[in-house]
Amino acid sequence: MFVIREALIGLRRNGVTTFIAIGIMFFSLFLFGLFLVGTFNLFGVIQAAREKVEINAFLGRELTDEEREELSSKIKAMVGVKSVEYVSKEKALEEFKIEMPNATTLLEAVKTNPLPPSFKIKLEDAFTTPDKVSEVSEKVGVFSEIETVEYGKSWINRLDHLVRILFLFDVLLGVVIGFSSVFVVANTIRLTVIARKQTIEVMKLVGASEHTIQAPFILAGLIEGGIAGAISAGLLYLIYMFVSRFFVHFYFPTNSIIIGMVVLGLILGYIGSKTSVKSTSMEVSFETPNF
Amino acid sequence: MVEIRNVKKSFRKDWYALNDISLSVDKGDFVFLTGPTGSGKSTLLRLIYMDIFPDEGEVAVAGFLSSTIKKHEIPLLRRRIGIIFQDFKLLRNKTVYENVAFALEVTGESGRKTKEKVMKALALVGLSHKRNEFPYRISGGEQQKAAIARALVREPFILLADEPTGNIDPEGSMEIVRILQDINTSGTAILMATHDVELAKRVSNNSVHLEEGRMVEG
Repeated sequence: MFVIREALIGLRRNGVTTFIAIGIMFFSLFLFGLFLVGTFNLFGVIQAAREKVEINAFLGRELTDEEREELSSKIKAMVGVKSVEYVSKEKALEEFKIEMPNATTLLEAVKTNPLPPSFKIKLEDAFTTPDKVSEVSEKVGVFSEIETVEYGKSWINRLDHLVRILFLFDVLLGVVIGFSSVFVVANTIRLTVIARKQTIEVMKLVGASEHTIQAPFILAGLIEGGIAGAISAGLLYLIYMFVSRFFVHFYFPTNSIIIGMVVLGLILGYIGSKTSVKSTSMEVSFETPNF
Repeated sequence: MVEIRNVKKSFRKDWYALNDISLSVDKGDFVFLTGPTGSGKSTLLRLIYMDIFPDEGEVAVAGFLSSTIKKHEIPLLRRRIGIIFQDFKLLRNKTVYENVAFALEVTGESGRKTKEKVMKALALVGLSHKRNEFPYRISGGEQQKAAIARALVREPFILLADEPTGNIDPEGSMEIVRILQDINTSGTAILMATHDVELAKRVSNNSVHLEEGRMVEG
């Protein structure tokens, strides 16, 4: 009871510093939340791009159903292959017409279907890097029925390069935002603790244990952090609603963001208040200007 | 009860704040610690409530030894002694009553017993009628009375007073000393630091005089 009452009294009677602490924690968490949502969406885009990575194994001739089944099973059994789809000459032509509608006159001029049948091979996520794609391609090319193997080598290289840069940038940004949040929040909470240094002094004077001295400050820090987390989650959700309604829809895991922001707020509040009250308590001494 | 044996304490090289001090305070004693500013009076009191520790020698208080006391035992020691200061150290945002009750609440005491103890302590210093006032609305003398009530509410065996009349007018000072004498009469030992040698002589014949960290004949 004493701890709860003192925590609430501390928050109420130091209204301005409490308000500033919640405000700064809210801003830090909000920035971090934006970063998280950005990261989720960035990885979503990367994932979608990776799913487009595929190998086209062109056949030298039309295969019988048995031959096709046998070869398809062999390719599917290879490490890293997710799926294998047979594309007949007719299907290839249809796809070509859809993808390149302006070139149909060219095909009509030829009269016959020049497109070869092929296997469209999709790969597991871990096998979409340039090295792995090349490795699987070489293995696929070994089969005698397969004449040529193609994959977008240059764009897979570019994608891989882009993913590496984005990942590095994202991690760096996360570390910078994370550390600066902890630093700023810890120092802000420290101001609220220093404002109540005399209370700590009196508590020590009358024989309060270190646990009793710290508990109200830690509880106050948790309350501040929880409130800041809830407000930042609320604002992120409003922004998501607004942007997806009027501009562009993006991925927003609502429950994870709300729970994550509140938990991060509690963690920030705990770390900030614990370190501040501990160091302030250690600083308290009854030294007078003259001995 | 309080035993100080051959204590030396230094805060900087080649200079002792306290040099070879021995002193004992027993139940019912009223001891004055006199000396000019900077003579080591506050340092000696801080050694007793173990805010600092001696470089040499030993301090023994209520069974706790300065050489062996654990960090978590210091609050237990402080609960057995009362301490008052020149600047009162009252919490501005708490009433007189709340300030006194605070000393019990921080150690988990609450309820009707707290109220009884607080009212008794306030009555002892004659401040019952000002219990709902905030410290900044009462005089310096009254603030010191509130601080004394807070120090007494745990019924300590000794009251350490560090220049308790330093911020109070002469009339108020005499009243504080009279209250300390009353407390002493009921069995609580008093160790009072003051630079006012005359006041010490008038009140008690048991005084220790410090000059530059050494005990000298008063």
